[in-house]
Amino acid sequence: MSLVPVYRRRASALHAARAGVSATFCMALAFAPILYDNPIVLGSLLGAIVVAAAGAGVARDLRRWAVYAAGLALLVVIINPLVTSDGLTVIWRGGSFLGRRWDVTLEAVVYGAVAALRVLDVVLAFALMSVAVDPDELLRALRRISYRSALAAALTTRLVPVLARDASRKSEAARCRPEPPGRTTVARAAVAGSLERAVELAAALEVRGYSRARRPQVARRPWSRHDIRVLASALAIVALAVGAKLAGAGGFQAYPTTVVSAGTSELVLGVAFIALAAAPFLGASGRLGVARA
Amino acid sequence: MPEPILVAEDFSYTYPDAPHRALGNISLELEAGSFTLLAGESGSGKSTLLRAACGLVPHFHGGEASGEFTVGGMSIRDHGPGDLSEVCGTLFQDPESQVVMGGVRAEIALGLEHRGESPAAVARAVEEAALALGIGQLLARRTDTLSGGELQRVALAAALAHRPRLLLLDEPTSQLDPVAGDELIWLLRRLNEEWGTTVLLSEHRLERCLPAADRVLALDGGRIACDAAPADFLAWAAEVRPPLATPAARLFSLAGLRPLPASVKQAKAALRDAGIELEPQPEPRAEPGRRRKRAPAALELRGVWHEIENGPAILRGVDVRVEPGELVALMGRNGAGKSTLLKHAKGLLEPTRGSVKTSGEVALLLQNPGDYLIHEHAREEAGEAGLVSAGLDGRGDADPRDLSGGERQRLALEVVLSGENAPAVVCLDEPTRGMDRSRKEALALRLHELAQGGAAVIVATHDPEFAANLAERVLLMGEGELIADGPVDEVLAGGWYFATEVARVLGGAAGALTPEQGAAVLARELVS
Repeated sequence: MSLVPVYRRRASALHAARAGVSATFCMALAFAPILYDNPIVLGSLLGAIVVAAAGAGVARDLRRWAVYAAGLALLVVIINPLVTSDGLTVIWRGGSFLGRRWDVTLEAVVYGAVAALRVLDVVLAFALMSVAVDPDELLRALRRISYRSALAAALTTRLVPVLARDASRKSEAARCRPEPPGRTTVARAAVAGSLERAVELAAALEVRGYSRARRPQVARRPWSRHDIRVLASALAIVALAVGAKLAGAGGFQAYPTTVVSAGTSELVLGVAFIALAAAPFLGASGRLGVARA
Repeated sequence: MPEPILVAEDFSYTYPDAPHRALGNISLELEAGSFTLLAGESGSGKSTLLRAACGLVPHFHGGEASGEFTVGGMSIRDHGPGDLSEVCGTLFQDPESQVVMGGVRAEIALGLEHRGESPAAVARAVEEAALALGIGQLLARRTDTLSGGELQRVALAAALAHRPRLLLLDEPTSQLDPVAGDELIWLLRRLNEEWGTTVLLSEHRLERCLPAADRVLALDGGRIACDAAPADFLAWAAEVRPPLATPAARLFSLAGLRPLPASVKQAKAALRDAGIELEPQPEPRAEPGRRRKRAPAALELRGVWHEIENGPAILRGVDVRVEPGELVALMGRNGAGKSTLLKHAKGLLEPTRGSVKTSGEVALLLQNPGDYLIHEHAREEAGEAGLVSAGLDGRGDADPRDLSGGERQRLALEVVLSGENAPAVVCLDEPTRGMDRSRKEALALRLHELAQGGAAVIVATHDPEFAANLAERVLLMGEGELIADGPVDEVLAGGWYFATEVARVLGGAAGALTPEQGAAVLARELVS
């Protein structure tokens, strides 16, 4: 099992849809949390991502990403109360230092938690993309826009597991030395080794005509039912997120006191996000697609 | 007469800052549709010649070139690797370093997309290349889930997808197990015969490729030392450069038989024609667990199991006892559990059941010696004494990454041996991959020294010739179990797959494994 979950083809509607469409679906799930501060809506979006991951059969991979993302989220929870003293409910007085007061307020802690929830949503939406969208197909589409950047990105996605294996081997070899070296020395050697591999790879690319590369032609592919369902769901998520925001749903005030809108509209909005995320995987059509994928 | 696809005229090349020329005054013509084998010891210039043919020399590596070198009518002075890729497909040693994309289909398609082919043409070429190489079932797989052999086939398919007229291969089997290596050579032969693809192949294990080749170019010090048909090359090698002669050729040469055979089939036919009928060795009988026990053992594994959580058992109740000073070859196909067993001996892995006991330190050299070299100067790796033992005295300031493959391995071996106390057990995992015969003999000599010093030496290897030269005992593994354990002549002489070339030629007669032993058997037959 690799350290970082990577794309594996599975039998799911998200995997079966074209990469551009699946990526749009994941980005819709990453876009919606950016519009909202409301913890109910953010929580429901988290639920929507988990439901989509379960539908795509990558829930275990997402759980591993969640462990990495939880550290980042925790950092946001800790840092926000330290950098802002807004809010009326002081829960800890830190005194004056560097020309400002370092009080911690309940509102800042709550807003830190909300921001952390948003971070978790966005990271996991992109994590879903990394494990459910074929990077080769996606990058082939991007090569029409910026060939070299897209190829560099393709190489990166390919090399991450290779370099992780290289580093693991070096670490094992270090344990075989009579006096095992420190981690820094091994890490430095791993980096040097990755440069060596990069040179070999550059040579391999050269002999495959990289220097004469032309923009790839567009492949015309008929739209499958999965393409249509996943794209419809993605567009609906974006439309719902924007529409509800314009309509004033999902309100949230962080300072000076925390005010969370928790009415019917937020509840409906939350349920709608989850339903839309689940839609591509539901019904006879979705199941048939799974069997054929 | 077909037009030559590659022409070199008095071509010489020197790498940047190198004191000597890597290639000197090379003149040759390669006919279209030919299968040419590049022979030579490490550092003889084989890789440089191939890199010149694909344009990496001088465009990618820099350096100074003189003379003329044209491929498909294009001079490598004016045309870089991108232009030459229209004519040639190139395959290097390590498939991990030449596969670019995450998916097999995308990988094979990449070169065609570089050429701006239409999606329909790309799809068809990918499909055809995959089917021609028998990897149709891999098209939907991710490249990081493939075995080394599968990955090398994918890399070959990627090199062939645009149907190049010339295929350049630099020791493509060196990272593969013998089965995958033999399959690859068989594929090359088919490509050459059926598609008419010109093949220029560099390889150390000549016995594997000679039957497919119709010409051999032997390089020495960057110059062409021999350019001949396989049979003539063997005659030259036996006379002038014995390390390049195949075991069967050396057997015949030592026995005074002519002509020298290029394959086991030819050798057997020649023996029949000479009226030599040998009594074949019965199938190997050596069974595990029959060894006489002396105390104390250098290494003892008792009922060792290695079971992966939610996965298969890699070792299944292995019992092994190795005495001090014993030289043991550990053999078996890929995935049989050889590396895992060695890691248990070293203590890198804990058995899920059973126990491992050693009488002292265990030194373990894993498959990639470069992984052991982590400092910027060779001196810091193993100290001055280690450099001397590795034959690298005076090279202490060299960056270990600048050392050749053989030098890296010698240095890495000294790294693991550099503890305060001499190790009781020395384990090496596949140490002969990509090594020429001279280097293998030097390694065997060093391991004999260690054994004479009292260390038990265990070498996991796919190379029966090396095992026959080194070991006195062979442990054969299959599916995580020990399936044979006995004297080297008993296990390797009667085997079909795990057998030396001489044993296959002689049918295992009298347990002869090496050319010298075989020649003695033949001499007795000829006298009688």
